[in-house]
Amino acid sequence: MIEDELRAAFARIEESTPPVGPLRVAVDRAVISRRRRRRRVRLAGTALAVAAVALVGFTAMAPRPPAPTAAPALPTPVPEAAGALNLLLVGVDQSAGSRRADSVLLVHLPADRSRLYLVSLPRDLLVPSQGGTEKLNATFSRAAGSGTDLAAGYRTTREAVARLTGVRVDAGAVLTYPGARELTDAVGGVPVCLPAPVRSVHTERRFPAGCQRLNGAAAVDLLRQRYGLRDGGLDRDRNAARYAAGLLRQLREQGTVTDPAQLGRLLLRVGPAVTADTGDLSLPALVAASGRAAAAEPVGLSFPVDFDDWTGRGFEPDPTLAPGFLDALRADRLAQWAAAHPDRVTALR
Amino acid sequence: MTYEEFADARLGALLRYAVMLTGDPHQAQDLVQETMVRVQLNWRRVARTDAPERYVRRMLTNQFIDWRRGSWARRVLLRGEADQSVPAPTDHAQSAVDRDQIRSWLSRLPRRQRAALVLRYYEDLPDGEIAEILGCAVGTVRSSISRALATLRAELVEVC
Repeated sequence: MIEDELRAAFARIEESTPPVGPLRVAVDRAVISRRRRRRRVRLAGTALAVAAVALVGFTAMAPRPPAPTAAPALPTPVPEAAGALNLLLVGVDQSAGSRRADSVLLVHLPADRSRLYLVSLPRDLLVPSQGGTEKLNATFSRAAGSGTDLAAGYRTTREAVARLTGVRVDAGAVLTYPGARELTDAVGGVPVCLPAPVRSVHTERRFPAGCQRLNGAAAVDLLRQRYGLRDGGLDRDRNAARYAAGLLRQLREQGTVTDPAQLGRLLLRVGPAVTADTGDLSLPALVAASGRAAAAEPVGLSFPVDFDDWTGRGFEPDPTLAPGFLDALRADRLAQWAAAHPDRVTALR
Repeated sequence: MTYEEFADARLGALLRYAVMLTGDPHQAQDLVQETMVRVQLNWRRVARTDAPERYVRRMLTNQFIDWRRGSWARRVLLRGEADQSVPAPTDHAQSAVDRDQIRSWLSRLPRRQRAALVLRYYEDLPDGEIAEILGCAVGTVRSSISRALATLRAELVEVC
């Protein structure tokens, strides 16, 4: 009987089972190194999320500044955009010849505008592209002419994000290092508190430990420093977070986040350094919506990826968590999702 | 239940199961290691399920079935020297030939069919539980087992 043959074969194969002890040790060792990697990715996500809070004002930036002939104060109330909105923020590093979208963040505004949800999308996330997959940060540079035209890169990244998430991207913006410099100067400098002194390897600048107000050039210099810091790139991410927190504080103190007129002036000043896309929305409507939601403490979330299945090519979406997360995003139920998955919420403070 | 308790109780059984699936102690170790790392990292989620062991077995089976898409197949290829803790077979010539034949028939089966055979004839699980582990209908389990048996029978006739 073939069944008996099979049982006998399995019994013989069973004899070759190796001992369990070494395997147990190998598992524990592998877990430690995976945890380390997971923490690294999380930290980068935190920095990004905090940066996004500061950039929310940016989202409202029009590609075309408001016409100077327009009446300074509109007597009619602005019709506010209804329903949930999704905004895409892309930070690109343009120092190398080709630009890559190294910070990609989806800002979700729920229909009730109660708060902002900052969904960081890991730059190494694999997204579908023609006939295969590619890393999310590569979608930006794939666009023809993205080296000079930020809008072209933004469009391909926007399409990739829309395909991945299934939500409509209603508006968005791209920020470069020069953009960060302009913004910093436009708000009158940003307070940054450093736990340890930092020495620039690019310029002669030295940043002492403690709190200081940085102008645009100094801020960008600080954001670039990675070598010589105790934890290298990790400390750079932390400094980016400190900068972003200071920028947001500055914007809040000035009331810029909630005041369309102030924001408009800021936009006029910084406008050219940033590429923005307001989609079908009017600038005032977008400002009103994001400003109201930005008044509350935002919630940072990371797109659930499979940290444990690093293939060397990039991260796959987490097969168990990602579908539920995307359903919640599409149905404007991120509040419930965040409540059900407290361990997936990024601490912003 | 903690991860440690689970590993103390079930790691041996899972390793034997992986040896049956892969037919190779090294690949089995890698398969179980990859699965158990994920189990440990996500232990809270695993422990919340009704039957953690079945859940883990399902993870392991999926990992085995998808092994070309995943990362652990590469790790097998890149593995260094052979594990010295596993002695070479010392059986006499004929039984070694038999073993090799049955192993090679098994290894030529589609992975899903092989997993179904292991679950029924080694683990002695009822078809309903096999279906749950493989993530398919009971009818599909039965038909794939009978297809696998038919393949093996044909091989047996050919050789004998």
